Amino acid sequence: MNIAIFFCQQLDPEQDVHRRALEKELGTKIRFFPMPCSGRIEAIHLLRAVEAGADLVYLITCPEGVCRYQEGNVRAGRRLTHARRLIREIGLEPSRLRLVVGSPPLPLRIDELVRGLLSGDSDAGPCVSREKVAVTLAQGDGLLPMSDGKGN
Amino acid sequence: MPPKYHIRTATVPNRFPAITRSGVIAWEEGCLKCPRCVKRECVYKVYEKSGLDPRHMTESLDHSCKDCFRCVQNCPMRLIHKSLDPKYKALGDDYWTPEIVTKLWYQAETGRIPVSGAGYGGSFSGPGFDAMWTDMSEIVRPTRDGIHGREYISTLVELGRKPMALAFDTAGGISSVSPPRVEIPLPVVFDPPPWSPPRRRINKAFLQGAKALGTLAIISQEDWDPDLEPYVDHTALLLGQGPHTLQPWLVQSLRLVEVPEGAHALAWQETLKEINPDLVVSIRLPLSPKAAERALALARAGVEILHFCANELGMEEGDAPLFIKERIKEIHLSLVEAGMRDQVTLLAGGGIAMAEHLAKLIICGADAVAVDIPLLVAMECRVCRRCAEGVACPVELEEVDPTWGGARIRNLMAGWHSQLLEVMGAMGMRDVRRMRGEMGRAMFFEEMEKDLFASLGKRG
Repeated sequence: MNIAIFFCQQLDPEQDVHRRALEKELGTKIRFFPMPCSGRIEAIHLLRAVEAGADLVYLITCPEGVCRYQEGNVRAGRRLTHARRLIREIGLEPSRLRLVVGSPPLPLRIDELVRGLLSGDSDAGPCVSREKVAVTLAQGDGLLPMSDGKGN
Repeated sequence: MPPKYHIRTATVPNRFPAITRSGVIAWEEGCLKCPRCVKRECVYKVYEKSGLDPRHMTESLDHSCKDCFRCVQNCPMRLIHKSLDPKYKALGDDYWTPEIVTKLWYQAETGRIPVSGAGYGGSFSGPGFDAMWTDMSEIVRPTRDGIHGREYISTLVELGRKPMALAFDTAGGISSVSPPRVEIPLPVVFDPPPWSPPRRRINKAFLQGAKALGTLAIISQEDWDPDLEPYVDHTALLLGQGPHTLQPWLVQSLRLVEVPEGAHALAWQETLKEINPDLVVSIRLPLSPKAAERALALARAGVEILHFCANELGMEEGDAPLFIKERIKEIHLSLVEAGMRDQVTLLAGGGIAMAEHLAKLIICGADAVAVDIPLLVAMECRVCRRCAEGVACPVELEEVDPTWGGARIRNLMAGWHSQLLEVMGAMGMRDVRRMRGEMGRAMFFEEMEKDLFASLGKRG
């Protein structure tokens, strides 16, 4: 099972070092995407990850009330909900996109957090209808609010 | 007069989107839908051209943004933010800083000197090479402007032993035999990096770069492969086993062979010279507190090149290690004192990360400098050392196209060559061989600090 993990850098400033053991262990089965803030996520990121081969996509945000940008984590949650709605529309299980809110206190260790997630989530199974995601991405409806050049 | 040395460069694009210092964070919820949106007013059209690299989930927003902050300042709802990119922060370490790595990328892409624009705000001293300032007293002399000036500045160095005097026969002809030497037009040789993914393609890229520049790449014997035979003229083979393990034709084709220091080093040198008298042999030894002593002993024993290797942070072996520049100064001065400095070539490497390090190490006494990690960085290495831990390389260096890699290395060295000319021009020097050991033309922070403040601690 392939897993993509998007996470806020504020969770673990040493993330680049901490995640290496997991990367070594799981090789190409796990991909980490550190972000300046989890609010940076867009639906397209999540869907691209599924299209590129991820069977499970996690978005890990800071605990409520501690976002460096005030409400990035709240916005991230809403964007994930939007992406889940999109993949439900095309017939995929929305549970393939999962939101994880880190527990205080920060910083956490990203590897420990992810190990915990992996031990509890081995039942998702491979994603079989990836091409539907590709079609949705090609149509692009509602995916790129940030990148249409019009500010909409 | 031989043709002037000039490195021809051409832009060689990155394979992966370059990691830049900051990323854009834009909230969409709360947008007022202004008729004149700051995103549309971006003078660099960053938002209009934005796209996503799905393999790395990187936005073109991040690497094409010029950090002018116009959109951040002018959005009426303050919906746009800039933040440090975690991938930028994770580049390299305290020595191989993200700034050094990204500037090496720039030079490898363009072949040009990285210019920061609005002056230098400091800091003006620091550890290692940052505690050394070079003389710029002749910076106002335009004829010696290194790159565009009328006076040619030579960066050629000779590797090998040099005769101290010539002997003549009765007919006036030279009777002394000159030892073999290898001339390289740039005081740089390429060294195997301390870590890397499998090196087959990487070595080929190093050799293509060395060929384009006219210099040598040191390749270890276990990495030697028949595929590399076309580059034998630009290869310096680092022996791992004895010379008897090499085919005679290879020894006869090589110009330089490196032998690790040890009880057998001089015997190996002799065997190699028997097969190919024109071969130059270099002895490779770790930088250590006993380096000056070893250098003198080996120079007296007839060694041609001493190659001292520091670690990747420029530190020598031992419990209280010195930085490479301090130890090379000591080695150089001890050879000068023994009257042997000009007989032997001093090659030094380890921790060479920028063009200024090259000039500074030469000022400290090295004839030429061995460069390793920057060559990987030229091919987009992020100095993450994942390969050393057995984790996959994030930029797939093991799959690099040698032609592309060689061109990137050529570009990087062209940038370094231009900067070396700038330093030498500012010092009023026209030959890099004259710069060797010119410590009087540099200031050393530690020494100045001692001179100025040592007396403050005295009583009475």
